[in-house]
Amino acid sequence: MAVVRKEELSSAAPQTVALKTGNEMAALAANQINYHIMGYYPITPSTEIAEFLDEMKAEGKNTVHMIEGDGEHGAAGICYGASTAGGRVFNATSSQGLLYSLEQLPVQSGTRFPMVLDLVTRTISGPLDIRGDHSDLNFAVHTGWVILLARDPQAVYDMNIIAVRVGEHPDVLLPVIVAYDGFFTSHQKRRVEFFSDNDAVQRFIGQRKQPYVTIDPRHPISVGGYMNDPDLINNHYQHKLAMDRAYQVIPQIFAEWAELTGRQYPLVDLYRMDDAEVAVFLINSAAETAKDVVDRLRAQGYKVGVISPNILRPFPIREIQQALRNVKALVIGERADSVGGYGGSISHEVKSALKDDPSNRTLVATRIFGLGGKDFYDDEAESFFRLGLEIAHTGKVEIPYDYSDVTPGDPAQAPVQVLEPLRKEDVTLGLTSVEKDEETGQLKVRISPPRALTERPKRIVSGHGACPGCGIFSGVDQFLKGIEGDVVILFQTGCGYVVSTGYPYSSHRVTFIHNLFQNGAATLSGVVDMFEERQRRGEIPAGEDITFIMVTGDGGMDIGMGPAIGTALRNHHMIILEYDNEGYMNTGSQMSYSTPLGNMTSTSHIGPAGRGKSFQHKDTPQIMAATNIPYVFTGVEAFNQDLVRKAAKAQWYAKHEGLAYGKILSACPLNWRSPDDMGTKIVETAVNCCFFPLYEVEHGITTITYNPEEKGKRVPVTDWLKMMGKTKHLLKPEYADELKAFSDEVERRWVRLKARHESPVL
Amino acid sequence: MDQVPQLPVTNSLGFYEIRFESIGGLGAHLAGQMLAEAAVLRMGLNGAHFSSYGSEKKGSPVKSFVRVCAPTQQVRTNSPVERPHMLVVFHERLLRHKEVLSGLYPDSIVLVNTAHTLDEMKKRLGLASGTVAVVDALKIAVEEKTRVNTAMLGAIARLLPFLESQAMRDTIRATFEHRYPQLVEANLRTFDRGYNEVQKETLHGTATAQATEFVRARPQLGYVTAPVGGVIVNPGNNVLKDLSAYRSGFIPAFDRTKCIDCGQCDLVCPDFCFVWEKTLDKRQRPVMSLKGIDYQYCKGCLKCVEACPADGALTSIREVEGYAEEHTVKHSWIPASRHSVSAVATRAS
Repeated sequence: MAVVRKEELSSAAPQTVALKTGNEMAALAANQINYHIMGYYPITPSTEIAEFLDEMKAEGKNTVHMIEGDGEHGAAGICYGASTAGGRVFNATSSQGLLYSLEQLPVQSGTRFPMVLDLVTRTISGPLDIRGDHSDLNFAVHTGWVILLARDPQAVYDMNIIAVRVGEHPDVLLPVIVAYDGFFTSHQKRRVEFFSDNDAVQRFIGQRKQPYVTIDPRHPISVGGYMNDPDLINNHYQHKLAMDRAYQVIPQIFAEWAELTGRQYPLVDLYRMDDAEVAVFLINSAAETAKDVVDRLRAQGYKVGVISPNILRPFPIREIQQALRNVKALVIGERADSVGGYGGSISHEVKSALKDDPSNRTLVATRIFGLGGKDFYDDEAESFFRLGLEIAHTGKVEIPYDYSDVTPGDPAQAPVQVLEPLRKEDVTLGLTSVEKDEETGQLKVRISPPRALTERPKRIVSGHGACPGCGIFSGVDQFLKGIEGDVVILFQTGCGYVVSTGYPYSSHRVTFIHNLFQNGAATLSGVVDMFEERQRRGEIPAGEDITFIMVTGDGGMDIGMGPAIGTALRNHHMIILEYDNEGYMNTGSQMSYSTPLGNMTSTSHIGPAGRGKSFQHKDTPQIMAATNIPYVFTGVEAFNQDLVRKAAKAQWYAKHEGLAYGKILSACPLNWRSPDDMGTKIVETAVNCCFFPLYEVEHGITTITYNPEEKGKRVPVTDWLKMMGKTKHLLKPEYADELKAFSDEVERRWVRLKARHESPVL
Repeated sequence: MDQVPQLPVTNSLGFYEIRFESIGGLGAHLAGQMLAEAAVLRMGLNGAHFSSYGSEKKGSPVKSFVRVCAPTQQVRTNSPVERPHMLVVFHERLLRHKEVLSGLYPDSIVLVNTAHTLDEMKKRLGLASGTVAVVDALKIAVEEKTRVNTAMLGAIARLLPFLESQAMRDTIRATFEHRYPQLVEANLRTFDRGYNEVQKETLHGTATAQATEFVRARPQLGYVTAPVGGVIVNPGNNVLKDLSAYRSGFIPAFDRTKCIDCGQCDLVCPDFCFVWEKTLDKRQRPVMSLKGIDYQYCKGCLKCVEACPADGALTSIREVEGYAEEHTVKHSWIPASRHSVSAVATRAS
């Protein structure tokens, strides 16, 4: 790592000492760069970067235009478009976010529009794991982007600023990824230094000069025209030449940075490698842990060292060849595998570099370690060195490729059945029933009172780890009280999913599926249609009957809007139940499109230059109603009879006609900043102020199922807003404009809904 | 920072290491951050701070780690603190888990937030050597309308003479004055009270008796025993979990004599704590009756108290030790339809 020596610093650019995390340093760099646009989408553990940047923006420290995409695919598109328009662009993502935006990345590099993407490395699914390894980085290496590596929070700052210069260099013109370890680096506070004055950063990066831009009518260009052979290979050769030049340019910019800051970054970081006979090759934070072990082993007389690249694309072949010239044995530790490739990808690249050096005699072994964020302790690092020492001693590599520190498991601890599965008769109790009146075509619904409904066994059981007072489970359970018979439940990614399924535990007593954040509707479409098809083929008895229910948060309905609409248009026999808690609560309360105007979230701060969320809440039930599915409804737990009745109807429609969609407004005490015991009251008030009207759309005909005006219960929206810490600022005079715009919108939608209620043709 | 303080003891890598054992929402992460900031930015040491992260939410166990070292030393290690020189327990209930005390040195300091006396805590911990300290941080926090974290910091500052109190106080001020200026004075008072009210005793048992090796948790299932693909073949096993540590001092009390069996509590409980049984009413018809609360799962949100229309059937009370165990009614997790009504009919008669 680069060692800070104050006396070496340029006197012209004073620096501040601080204790900060990698994500804080990434945000600080972006703040000082003052990107024109950050297009992003929340995903752990990179989300904090947008949060911190937005917070600084609200304080007036930057003017970065922040755009939260509808998913990483959308966010990457926003970034691409913004980059073609000539300004500076920034994004940050991890894991599934990188994979979901993957197809954008080679387009961006191949069409040569620079930007910076922080990849806060995290395991890719499945199964889903939020902690850090390099399996996402494994995909990034094939996108044609320059990739800089940052091993600690100081390097995160440095590489983020250097990245701008590298990517925009006229000989390069490539987008740049800065990759650092999720949690180990992103969430660990270390002593760091940064320029006290933004001008020092501005002077270093200068102005972006893009040869072609998409917003200059006097110089029209066509971007992205299609290109077949024989041209594509030449385009890619240009790309290859640009990467070659980056290999020359990067050391020059590193040197400039060192001149300015005193912090040196060689292309490959070598620790006590001068006379090393055994080396361990590691990427990012793990390399630092191994250095402590090197000191210990050196004290015992072993000639060992650590080799660790600071750049991954271009791959620093020459420096690696040079460093390993006299090394007898090399152990490559990889925090990602390419299953079936017999060595992680990096191993093959290192081996290939060595093969190209005819004088090289280094013996190489690969060990896959630390997947899913499994901690890398010094004893595991030491085992790598011991392996290298043994290889050097014997001159043989017994096992060239293997996993490190895996657990076979104790057969005595095999999973035991704790709960007996529910039998059909346990869940078919006749507590609700629905019949179609053949004359009127109306459904006649009969539901039991709450006392009797307590007999319904819980399909989701106690023991989940949701916050106290969480509205998700009470809301979903109320809904399930109205559902007779067997169910299969799918959750999209979100709080409800993660708190109920931490392996090897599950709160789902009935069959449960989780796939991706966004394509649950598509996934369940496949399940339900396979069930029907297998039933049609006689593989499942004709009498078998299952109700298929997808549960999603409002975030899942943002990123998953496309699959949900597709499922609606295909009209599968299933239910989509959305719990709307007005934000991405699972990742730390970022705004969703369902967050109302002016709300404070972790990506829509309030402050001298921040006004909360900048646009009105999404009207998902109306979007779904426009797909002309048979049944759409809204509900809250405070009106339980209304919700149970709608559940029974939804089940009938799912069984007989096709897709039913419903949205439940669901309290999140933690992020609504409201008392744990007030959730029911708050959603009741949301109904009574007409922000969240209770209604249903049945075959296109709208019925308001509870009208607070008719009941004399209507209250102003301020009665609702004042109940939550995230909204009570809207009652202050300085937010009068936002409050008016919000209450006008609530009224406009309510009046329109009443008109629809009045007229069956609307 | 005229002179950089000397660390009393360090491990082989040169660190003095502190582990906080807490639950989400008590502010242990922020406390660790403030401690590290004071040491690095105001006392001239070097150091690092981070917390354990999972997908758990407010109320679930969390660990926070602080390492400090000489200013000239680099911090390179990223792994959690396994052998703490000081162990700080933010919530007494965590002591139920034996691994919380794992990895202590013979001379480690253990500080616990508790209303119990020093003697009671010494007995409970059963340590042979080292230093045991107690502070009633919850009481201080309730009285000062703050959180326990700054009280714990006060106690830590008293126990670790190398930490400069003024540096800690300055850090607290700097942390709060920007966004919550109204909380600065209360938190400084909380810190001072923690400093003044902590009690400690150094035990003089044999040093070897205490050293507890850190036991690294291994997964329950491995590549031989786990069903392929991460499938969970015994779903519903979350009922084995004990969520009582989520509670923050209050609990719903149930009075059967005032209950009207309306079912409103069951409709709003996020944790499905209400235990119902099938009984016979006066006319010998089967009905559902509320039997009680399974406190193993109760997180103390008190939504049920808010929802209860029957005066006094559900009330919020300050939880005292042993109440939940004494009053809990366990879920059988067998659907009511499988109950033999006649077997339980005696309750209704």
